[in-house]
Amino acid sequence: MKSWLLGAACAALILVAGCGSDPDGSGGSAGDGLEIVVIPKGTTHEFWKSIHAGAKKAERELNAAGQPVKIIWKGPLKEDDRDEQIKVVENFIGREVDGMVLAPLDENALVRPVETAGKAKIPVVIIDSGLQSDKYASFVATDNYVGGRMGGEHLGELLGGKGNVLMLRYAVGSASTTKREEGFLDAIKEKYPDIKVLSSDQYAGATRDLAYTASQNLLSRYGNELNGVFCPNESVTVSMTKAIRDLGKAGGNVKIVGFDTSVQSLRDLEAGDVQGLVVQNPIRMGYLGVKTLASHISGAKVEKRIDTGVAMVTKENMSEPEIQELLNPPLEEYLGEGN
Amino acid sequence: MAKETESSPLRLRIRGVAKRFGPTVALGGVSLEVAPGEVHALIGENGAGKSTLMKVLSGAHQPDAGSLLLDGQPFKPSDPLHARNSGVAMIYQELNLAPDLSVEENMLLGTEPQTMGWLRRGERRRLAKRALEEIGQPDLPLDAPVRSLTIAQQQLVEIARALVGEPRVLIMDEPTSSLTRLDTENLFAVIERMSQRGVSVIYISHFLEECQRVASRFTVLRDGRSVGSGAMAGASLDEIIQLMVGRTVDEIYPHTSRAIGEPVLELRGVAGLVKPSRVDLTLRAGEIVGLFGLVGAGRTETLRAVFGLDRLAKGSVSVFSHEATRSTPAKRLANGVGLLSEDRKEEGLLLGRSIADNLTLTRLGPVTRLGIVNSSAQAAAAGKWMDRLDVKALDAAQPVGELSGGNQQKIALGRLLHHEANILLLDEPTRGIDVGSKAQIYRLMNDLAGRGKAVIFVSSYLPELLGVCDRIGVMCRGELSEVRPVADWSESAIIRAAVGQTETGEAAA
Amino acid sequence: MNLAQLGSRDFLKAVRPFVGLFMVLLLFAMDAELRSLFFKGGNFKTILTQTVIVAIGAMGMTLVIVSGGIDLSAGSLVALCSVVTAKLIEHGHGLAAVLALTVLVGGLAGLANGGIIAAFRMMPFIVTLGMMGIARGISKWLADNQTVNPEVPLESVNSLMDKSQSPLTFFPLPDGVWLALGLAVVMTVVLRSSVFGRYVFAIGSNEDTARLCGIRVNANKIAIYALAGAFFGLAGVMQFSRLTQGDPSVAIGLELQIIAAVVIGGASLSGGAGSIPGSVIGAFMMACLANGSSIKDWPNYMQEIIIGVVIILAVGMDKVEPMLQRFIRRGK
Repeated sequence: MKSWLLGAACAALILVAGCGSDPDGSGGSAGDGLEIVVIPKGTTHEFWKSIHAGAKKAERELNAAGQPVKIIWKGPLKEDDRDEQIKVVENFIGREVDGMVLAPLDENALVRPVETAGKAKIPVVIIDSGLQSDKYASFVATDNYVGGRMGGEHLGELLGGKGNVLMLRYAVGSASTTKREEGFLDAIKEKYPDIKVLSSDQYAGATRDLAYTASQNLLSRYGNELNGVFCPNESVTVSMTKAIRDLGKAGGNVKIVGFDTSVQSLRDLEAGDVQGLVVQNPIRMGYLGVKTLASHISGAKVEKRIDTGVAMVTKENMSEPEIQELLNPPLEEYLGEGN
Repeated sequence: MAKETESSPLRLRIRGVAKRFGPTVALGGVSLEVAPGEVHALIGENGAGKSTLMKVLSGAHQPDAGSLLLDGQPFKPSDPLHARNSGVAMIYQELNLAPDLSVEENMLLGTEPQTMGWLRRGERRRLAKRALEEIGQPDLPLDAPVRSLTIAQQQLVEIARALVGEPRVLIMDEPTSSLTRLDTENLFAVIERMSQRGVSVIYISHFLEECQRVASRFTVLRDGRSVGSGAMAGASLDEIIQLMVGRTVDEIYPHTSRAIGEPVLELRGVAGLVKPSRVDLTLRAGEIVGLFGLVGAGRTETLRAVFGLDRLAKGSVSVFSHEATRSTPAKRLANGVGLLSEDRKEEGLLLGRSIADNLTLTRLGPVTRLGIVNSSAQAAAAGKWMDRLDVKALDAAQPVGELSGGNQQKIALGRLLHHEANILLLDEPTRGIDVGSKAQIYRLMNDLAGRGKAVIFVSSYLPELLGVCDRIGVMCRGELSEVRPVADWSESAIIRAAVGQTETGEAAA
Repeated sequence: MNLAQLGSRDFLKAVRPFVGLFMVLLLFAMDAELRSLFFKGGNFKTILTQTVIVAIGAMGMTLVIVSGGIDLSAGSLVALCSVVTAKLIEHGHGLAAVLALTVLVGGLAGLANGGIIAAFRMMPFIVTLGMMGIARGISKWLADNQTVNPEVPLESVNSLMDKSQSPLTFFPLPDGVWLALGLAVVMTVVLRSSVFGRYVFAIGSNEDTARLCGIRVNANKIAIYALAGAFFGLAGVMQFSRLTQGDPSVAIGLELQIIAAVVIGGASLSGGAGSIPGSVIGAFMMACLANGSSIKDWPNYMQEIIIGVVIILAVGMDKVEPMLQRFIRRGK
């Protein structure tokens, strides 16, 4: 079979090119500077764009401070696909970058890739969600449990300590939202024992579309007795609000407390359909992620856990300047026009 | 020359047409003259250039040299649609129907009467009905999907489709290859009617008797040239065959005397779920039994039921004196029974696979060790049969689909030989293949019977049945009525039996 | 070299996936940045490891597609079997038992596919579309809608796809890669030279003819789908090993990647054509493309477009080849 001939040619090409590459591959291709890859869970949510902006901000500062850094921004091809994110991590280990900032899609599945990076002498800073390992340089994230508690306390206050609420979970295996969900449920249980949680075991799924369907399903069952809702992330907040609006119960009839912001959820807040949003500081997360990694690479000692804080945004406080900076992060400044 | 053309008003005049594909000369100078209303037979073996000539006429190929005149005007069709609009219609041998569309939709495909994109249903129905009446088949169900019709009926639909366009020249390529005698008679009547209305018909067929019957003049092609033409009335069959093959054919049907042995296959009251309704037959070693009948008489169904492809409703089958009524093709093959399908393209052969695979598929044992097929042993076994059967092919690895019809049929038959089948059920083994290949197949059947194998030979072509068989049985409406030695049959008696002994006058005419 | 052989259909068909791979590698080699980043031993180990799941699935899918069928349940069965693996490990089974039982579960699902297709003469597309939903549902049910993380990990299963010990060198390769390579060799012989392989081709070329030739079409179909299911089961074990967890939502759309690999490898969706080496090379080529565009930092959408174009090009070769053949033959 002549086909083996071409097979052999392919193999030869691989070997020749493989041997030709420089053996001291530690420098990567970024010249003298550091090459850092930032791997989010996805790229379409506005939350991740803020992380990106934060990473860019850090890149600029470091470059200005004479510590040249190049940021590569690379999300998994398919969002919420663990296997795809593992591939991205593996591929950049293959590229031998100088460091990684990773928002793991799963606290277990990403353990081995992160440890593999360690074996390849590539330090990793974990952001946003936790990892069941300690083989990373630092964990830079919102304390999601605190955020969830804040949401629960706000909703309890809005309802005057009684009524029926439900919570639509985000997705299976997402550590950050699970913490928020726990925080919310704990706050309700401890501080507002008269509030009844109708449902807290349904998952929305990764996209707005799935979340919308899940919300409709829940509302068709509990819509009539419902007084309040907690949504653990942006896509669920927007979809749930839309479903409640469809039902004609928006505008305070059913109190909604959400998590994270987007153009749509802020519009809903302004219109009075949403009564509160727990807001993280993603720019700060991206910024601190890169800065922490850079100082770790340069040999400095870094904290193992860095909290980036949360704030409760309501219609009343949303025009205050420090809230404004959280709500309208200066994305264009870092990502250019086409963010 | 122009003057001559005007003085003798020819419908179609082809002069010195040549066409080559790379180094291959497909046509090396063909001349043909057809008068209005004339039925002209175009005769030649496969590969003689008939189909290339047709493609030139239909605009699928442009000739390298020569001229075409249609009613005195230069005729240079640029594509099939142009030719069709100029009045030259073509009926291809291979069916060109959309199986899921209805008869009516198929007949008017591409020429649907329409008003601003909306179909005119009434008009459609009228056109379709008229065309079916012209071919004497007003009973064909217009709304039935073509898939549900028999092959013969499908061919009739195709013929009716060509008539819808009211052509000036109608070219028919082997139109009767899957028609029964009765359908053929119908078709001839249509051709006669068309010729009376002034439509010229170019009739391509391997059935010389048919050509003699239907055409007034003929042209013989051999190796891409026209080697002779003349009036049918003045030519004998042997002369035409001599022109075709370039040599004299003394004996197409060899018949050596042979010993008839023990019964090997006995059918007792065999009936299928639909057809056949009753078949009793005893086949003996060294015997060739012919089965004649109209399309739909149940011959194919009988073979399928005996072979275990279709369920038997009633009756019993014994093979080599062993009761074996309920069976599968696998068991039948194991008992040495082989079936040659009437439809070699759809059922008989794996067109995309190699000659070697096709020849050895039912008996891979001799070329296999520990479940692994030895490719070179397989190719050697195949090569042996290709030599024996005189198959024209590149090598044993060539896909069967690339071969000519005659060579494909030899491969299908070769499979039964490789299987060393002792009882051969052959369904229309000579359909659509050239005279040379037919003669080889007749010789082969004779040899096999001479070596003690038993053959059931289903055919719609009476001369070959009469020429090859020891006994002939006739099927009519699912029943096998009479099985008699060949000497006791005449052509007209067979046809009378096939139509149920009622329409004797029409069939004999 | 013999021109007749160069122009022969077998040669062009067999060589096509290699040509495709060669083109991709050549393209990468032409880019200065990629040349130094892509062609590294460690990176090829990464790509091979990423190929394993699709390649093992493609071996089963090749059987099905060559026989003229399709199996859309591949992705779901991989997910189901990754959950089954996790559950078996939770119950304390060892490597051999985990492998055998998971492959058995996949095989049984395939047996159900084949049985329904054969018994009721139903379209494989429909039956396996149904199985796709059923298997996905069962895996979520079994996993209680979340990932299954065995308390006590079974190192032998986890290490099947583990390359963390020496991420930057080509050797040693993970066991899963060797297993896939060995299976590829065995299945190449089975499909190309065994009697069963001939029957698979015969059924895919023309089912009626196969029946006429005494091949037990239904029994063979059941065997084909069951065997394919077993391969998806094995791919499920590999999927578990990669994630070190059973994930009911993993491998969504994997069946399409597998089908693409098989088709790039020269198989025809109408049956009767295809090869195991082709399919495996097809899977490897897609992993190369994904890896290359990822480390080259092309945006994700470019990567998706490129892979789409490659699939169409690969199948388009079917139309170009007859022309090429004629050209070569004429030249002779």
